[in-house]
Amino acid sequence: MAGIYRILIAFLMALTPLTLGSVAVSAATNAAAPVVTAATTPTPAAAPATPATTSADDAATPAADAAAAPAFEYARPVPGIGQPVVGGMDFQPQVTENGRFAHFLNNAILLPLSVVICLLVLGLTLWVSVRYRAAANPNPSKTSHNTLIEVIWTGIPILILVGVAVPSIDLLARQYAPPPANALTVKVTGYQWYWGYAYPDNGIDEYVSNMLDEQTAAARGEPYHLGADNRMVVPVGRTVKVIVTAADVIHSFSVPALWVKMDAVPGRLNEVTFRADRVGVYYGQCSELCGVNHGYMPIAVEVVTPERFAQWVASKGGHMTAPAAPAASPATAAATATPTATPAAAPAAVPTPSPSAGATPAAAAPAQ
Amino acid sequence: MTTIAADADHAHHDDHADHKPGFFVRWFMSTNHKDIGTLYLIFAICAGIIGSALSGLMRLELAQEGIQYLPHWAAMLGGEETDTAGKHFWNVMITAHGLIMVFFMVMPAIIGGFGNWFVPIMIGAPDMAFPRMNNISFWLTFVAFFMLFGSMFVSGGSGLGAGTGWTVYAPLSTSGSTGPAVDMVIFSLHMAGAASILGAINFITTIFNMRAPGMTLHKMPLFVWSVLVTAFLLLLSLPVLAAAITMLLTDRNFGTAFYDAAGGGDPVLYQHLFWFFGHPEVYIMILPGFGIVSQVVSTFSKKPVFGYLGMAYAMVAIGVVGFIVWAHHMFTVGMRVDLKMYFTAATMVIAVPTGIKIFSWLATMWGGSLSFKTPMLWALGFIFMFTVGGVTGVVLANGGVDQNLHDTYYVVAHFHYVLSLGAVFALFAGFYYWIPKMSGRMYSEWMGQLHFWTFFIGVNIVFFPQHFLGQQGMPRRYPDYAHAFEYWHHISSLGYLVVMVGLLFFFANVFYTLFAGKKVGANPWGEGATTLEWTLSSPPPYHQFNELPRIA
Amino acid sequence: MQLIARGKNRTAMLAALLALGMVALGFAAVPLYRLFCRVTGFAGTTMRVSEETASAVPVIDNQTISVRFDSNTAPGLGWTFRPERPRDTLSIGQRDMMIFVARNLTDRTVTATATFNVTPSQAGPYFAKVQCFCFTEQTLAPGEEIRMPVVYYVDPKILEDPDARDVREITLSYTFFPVDEAATGG
Repeated sequence: MAGIYRILIAFLMALTPLTLGSVAVSAATNAAAPVVTAATTPTPAAAPATPATTSADDAATPAADAAAAPAFEYARPVPGIGQPVVGGMDFQPQVTENGRFAHFLNNAILLPLSVVICLLVLGLTLWVSVRYRAAANPNPSKTSHNTLIEVIWTGIPILILVGVAVPSIDLLARQYAPPPANALTVKVTGYQWYWGYAYPDNGIDEYVSNMLDEQTAAARGEPYHLGADNRMVVPVGRTVKVIVTAADVIHSFSVPALWVKMDAVPGRLNEVTFRADRVGVYYGQCSELCGVNHGYMPIAVEVVTPERFAQWVASKGGHMTAPAAPAASPATAAATATPTATPAAAPAAVPTPSPSAGATPAAAAPAQ
Repeated sequence: MTTIAADADHAHHDDHADHKPGFFVRWFMSTNHKDIGTLYLIFAICAGIIGSALSGLMRLELAQEGIQYLPHWAAMLGGEETDTAGKHFWNVMITAHGLIMVFFMVMPAIIGGFGNWFVPIMIGAPDMAFPRMNNISFWLTFVAFFMLFGSMFVSGGSGLGAGTGWTVYAPLSTSGSTGPAVDMVIFSLHMAGAASILGAINFITTIFNMRAPGMTLHKMPLFVWSVLVTAFLLLLSLPVLAAAITMLLTDRNFGTAFYDAAGGGDPVLYQHLFWFFGHPEVYIMILPGFGIVSQVVSTFSKKPVFGYLGMAYAMVAIGVVGFIVWAHHMFTVGMRVDLKMYFTAATMVIAVPTGIKIFSWLATMWGGSLSFKTPMLWALGFIFMFTVGGVTGVVLANGGVDQNLHDTYYVVAHFHYVLSLGAVFALFAGFYYWIPKMSGRMYSEWMGQLHFWTFFIGVNIVFFPQHFLGQQGMPRRYPDYAHAFEYWHHISSLGYLVVMVGLLFFFANVFYTLFAGKKVGANPWGEGATTLEWTLSSPPPYHQFNELPRIA
Repeated sequence: MQLIARGKNRTAMLAALLALGMVALGFAAVPLYRLFCRVTGFAGTTMRVSEETASAVPVIDNQTISVRFDSNTAPGLGWTFRPERPRDTLSIGQRDMMIFVARNLTDRTVTATATFNVTPSQAGPYFAKVQCFCFTEQTLAPGEEIRMPVVYYVDPKILEDPDARDVREITLSYTFFPVDEAATGG
């Protein structure tokens, strides 16, 4: 049963780009196979001003020796991918298999069903309005029961809903599929009002990510309100397990193009996974009201090739070998776990959200 | 419902014994259900003006990218003219708009207003069971509103007013908001909640004990059924809210840690409690609307409601299922998969009784003799717009799809389709349907029709594009946005202007009706209007049914 | 008339009782929710087991699972707090110990307590702790460092749960909060 059903779904998914006629951008990415397409090549020459700004901000983070590490330049975002488009109506192009399936579930099942139901109700209303207007039908019937029809309009919706529920439950099962052992773990922490990212397996301590101001965003070719000074960088084609928490109030980590959203709750860890199969820059925004600057703490995820990921990890002073030491040999990873020497005695004052505020959260960071 | 024919002799003969108290006693110490209903309606209209003015300000600010007006508005209210105060004022506006529209516009109008006016009359009772308690309910609501309104002028942390959203999630509402504003909002909710609970007890007692002879439960008009189910929802859900926000208050002020992870509490527990109330709350707002639409459709089709029992028990089913689906508001909170599957499936189940209602309304019209007076237009608008809101609800019920759409404008569009185009359409339907009865004067038909069409077009322009914004990823509760979102936001804001024009027709019509409307007799709607209120004079006598009508 | 009045009062009393009952239920939700989480492992709550229970658990040698350790501190606590290793790999049923190191960086004595949960949350019922520092408050003098053990195992019953048996990695997360400042806001 499940096997036949999967085949059916796969078949329908293959048809999706043809049948939907949704925005052109979406059709482009729907090219079903999860091939690693290097659509966004990094453009090193493009933004000369960028690396300077980045490392200036970084200088204050615990990884003070990062300045000496090999340089890594963020890729420029591609319009229409990983961000909204002017006048856009459909979902953002999806770059994960689960995202495409969810997108398909909406656009090929739920949306047509919705349209049909709405048109049915509208059509019936209009037809009844014309056919049984007082002028055309001065003597109303007195019919007020018809058991058969009542059973029909109770039964058919139940059948339709059961039909809808099957792929819906399947989608949930896929989203909750446990990540494979080689998944990359990224720790995301929500603060008022910026994000912190850490890579525990790569020895990368938390660095913070603030929204770019309007000028810097323009200079870097990033959309204002979405661009962030430091991105979360992950490799393409590998499952990423995001573990999310918050330091103060509830935030929500959300990236529409990855079909990911998970609340960041203080005192509690949540996890959500995704596997992007296309390199690029994907933006998201905090999605739980968290105070004054709720609208000003974007999320920028850059999906890169494994080589560029290694480069980025090196630039952050991290290492690529996961220190998955078995319980028996505790010594190996000890060095990386040492907190930085700067005893940040400063109580974590609430930082202002300006990009220049990078220093303040860094002071709180060793507490990690 | 099938064969209600009141004995006209009994219904009319009490006109002459109509003693009205003086102005102050009549309106400030009122115990008459019709007077209290009128007070509720006036109150709801005033609150509605403030609530929609707030939405107007929000649409103005969102019409283009960038922050245009917020700091000035914050300064006008007595705050600082800074960026922070402005952004905080944004959060205050979304909070106040939500709370005002839910607790002080829709609920007072549909339950307090129409419920008070017509439930006793429709069941052939002389008044509500506890007239003085009825009065207390109204004035509690009134004070609650001023408490909420006042909170906008005291400190709420980063600026004046409470910027927590209408959901008042901890810890933003506890450690995240200093100052008395949030406390005032909580008090306001306490009072409004107490008022509603008292009102619910009153309705339940009235409906169970004061029906005229022969008015069995299964002969009650569907509006009375809807208020009965609503009253039970209020009675079972509001106390949970009261408990939840009381704990919020003690967390804020007395050092408890119910929702504070630092003290061993859990902020997610607040969300569970809030939505255990919050989901029935949305049915509290829409069920009486279902009742009104049933009366209106039946009247203007000149036919009894199709499938009366199915209609009544569909509402009961919606009420019952409404209590076991709450966590679909919290799909992204970090929930285990089996639970999410359950809440997805359970939520979809609600579509079945809702579908029964939609199809039964259509079947009521089928074979009828339809006239398209203003109330009927609103009812038809309701049926279609509620269907649109309903199908997007099925989309959002999918936990997996919601992982993208949660807390985006898609959700905003969805709940405005069921409330702003659902509940509010039902309110207007009820208003035009009953205003001749309540005032004794007929509204202006052409103004009513213009009101409907401008409002209908306007709200669709406002809210339909918000689906697109949500699918594109625009999050809720943002004062500003990326450039790409401007296109649809701009159109949405233009729609608000059309809505404004519609509202002008409404207010003009209200004044016209009250001061110059044509006097009407007992039943201006003719043979389709079969419920008891149409057997009384318009307006009904101050005391009706001194001798109870007998229902055949 | 009197009959109606009596009926009215009865209905109203019943309705009022119902409302009061719901208020009580609202408040009772707090301990009930906590109890529910502890018993069922709901919301990623871990199980606390005694030494006897733990020693009776079979070890399944050919099935390993990795456990990741995550540590957080509330803003303003002024402690560093982290596990000695980010993760361990162990056999299901095997007992393991992880040391968490906390250090008070401030110049005052600070008492703190930790909240905890595991992800994915369906693994909660199978994550059993024999010994944990989170069961008690910790007080650190200025500059003091403390090494705190967690002794735990993953219950072999996890292999029987269709929702949880494919889990390859469980993350155990702690957040230290200062004890005295539990009350905020107002």
